[in-house]
Amino acid sequence: MHAALLTLGFGIVTASILALSAVAFTLQYGVTNVANVSHGEILTIGAYAAYLVHQRTGSAPAAAIAAALAGGLIALAMYSSVIGPFIRFGASPTVIFIATLGVSFVIQNVLVIFFGAANVAYNIDPGAPQQVGPFLLNALDEQIVISAVVITAALFFIISRTKFGKALRAVSQNRELARVTGINATRVAAATFFLAGLIAGYAGFVLAESVGSFTPYFGFGFFLITLTAAVAGGLGRAVGTMVGAVIVGIILEVVPALPVPFVGGYISASYNLAIAFAILALVILFRPRGLFTSARRTVFE
Amino acid sequence: MTTYLIAVLTEGAIFGIMALGLNVIWGWSGDFDLAYYGYIAVGAYMTIVLTVGPPVAPAQYIIGQSLPYPLAVVFAVITAMAVALVVGSIALRHLRGIYFSIVTLGAVYVMYVFAGQYVPLFDGYNGLSGLFDPMGDWFGLDYFSYQYFFLGLSLVMFALVYFVMSRVSSSRFGMALRTLREDERAAAAFGRDIYRLKLKGYVLGAALGGFAGALFAAYLTAFNTSAWSPVEVIVLYSAVLVGGRGNIRGVVLGVLIMGLIVNESTRFLPQLPLPGLSAFDTLHPQVLQAARGGIIGLVLVLFLRFRPQGLLPERRFVDRSPATPAIEPAPLAS
Repeated sequence: MHAALLTLGFGIVTASILALSAVAFTLQYGVTNVANVSHGEILTIGAYAAYLVHQRTGSAPAAAIAAALAGGLIALAMYSSVIGPFIRFGASPTVIFIATLGVSFVIQNVLVIFFGAANVAYNIDPGAPQQVGPFLLNALDEQIVISAVVITAALFFIISRTKFGKALRAVSQNRELARVTGINATRVAAATFFLAGLIAGYAGFVLAESVGSFTPYFGFGFFLITLTAAVAGGLGRAVGTMVGAVIVGIILEVVPALPVPFVGGYISASYNLAIAFAILALVILFRPRGLFTSARRTVFE
Repeated sequence: MTTYLIAVLTEGAIFGIMALGLNVIWGWSGDFDLAYYGYIAVGAYMTIVLTVGPPVAPAQYIIGQSLPYPLAVVFAVITAMAVALVVGSIALRHLRGIYFSIVTLGAVYVMYVFAGQYVPLFDGYNGLSGLFDPMGDWFGLDYFSYQYFFLGLSLVMFALVYFVMSRVSSSRFGMALRTLREDERAAAAFGRDIYRLKLKGYVLGAALGGFAGALFAAYLTAFNTSAWSPVEVIVLYSAVLVGGRGNIRGVVLGVLIMGLIVNESTRFLPQLPLPGLSAFDTLHPQVLQAARGGIIGLVLVLFLRFRPQGLLPERRFVDRSPATPAIEPAPLAS
């Protein structure tokens, strides 16, 4: 029982990071209706920026700000140089999917050229583990969970209470109708990408901190899990995505800790990605609109 | 120089078979399938475990037979087709567009993780090796003459696949696949069984992938998870896209161009150390490989944006049959 609660604690940390990454992804999906496959590279760039700044200044808050800013700028660049022009050119969502996969490939390789493909160790003293309620968390874990909660609360305030949030929701629901009412959809989308990039860049920083190392490919691996969370929660829906992220994050930590029935032993954590995709395939096949809607399955085009 | 030329041509022929298989799935049927490299890997792994005999400890893998190479290739292709049948029957039934791509991406990562982590299958991360010069001793070939033999074999196989694909391209089946790409609803209205047709095309493409994988395994003599990664498929996609999606002549042109880029593009990189980056060394193999990858990704994005039909676009089929004249628009009442 105690061990189960411990893994649940780790699950909450994973879920917090996943929630940040997934909500950023789903915001981008909402305003453009296309999946940005290079989303993972925003996290990677956030991690590199944080690492470089941390090395120079030795200050973690500065590193966090650098990660967020780098993420925001790269996301804005992705929108204005690739995704936006493709949308205006009338490309289909699948074509943009392929194009952003190409962008992701380019960014990974550029990072390899400049920083090498080897693991970069990013060790921060996580602090001694302490009892928090039923869980055993260290100071770093606490910071991650608290910051995730604060950031999402701020995000929901922005989405639900500000004028920009209203425009964002309008563009997400119906781009054409939003334009008819005088909203500059392109500008709203660009601003949304910047906002999503800030969050994703920060997520890259905390992910690197919590894992302790990163490579140019690390964001892409996490993107695959992000995608599972976002699809499970319903693509383009912020609240559903948050819940999806919490569920997927906890499953990913808890399932490998369960004994395998009949055979005995444990599933290695290396199968994480396989587990995530098994969940993803099941969700897409049976609840393609996400876990939290009553819509029946449909053919997607 | 000769060794280099042989290597490039052999790789090109194998790469060409891979691209022709992908063209069935993406070029004709129109599905952006990310699991494709998985079928190549299945073909390669199966060929090795069927030819190299039982595992010697500490290595472990399934099957471990010593079949003759051609027979092993046949079984490897069948296995790749079976895997594709499973993935395709799940992914093609209801899913299109990015949902199809996401599920196939999931499928290939499951394959990748299992191949790399589940040791009893294909010896995990270590992978398989020991497939030296298959069929070489039948003809009494030494190491050097074998290179020529294998080059000839690859080219003949490529020519064979090209010939068969050019027949399929203009067959009813090839045409029917294209109608699915253009307008699935219209094809259904004309009585096509969309799901079965797409599945057939998918398995045919995967068979070519598995076949190319079987040749690739013999060329590399070994196969492990560092020899393939799911994103390698981008290189194949850029070849099909650059040449002309759906047009097999275009696909071959694309393979030639991408082969040229993969092998030669880094020759002209400036050998300048960039300021402030001590690790930057344009001669380091890792940097060269990354530069190629970056160029390939860039080519993919630019072609999608500015020339999505490729250099040799697919010919549009025009109905020239005089039997049913188009309905003349009624003259406007003046």
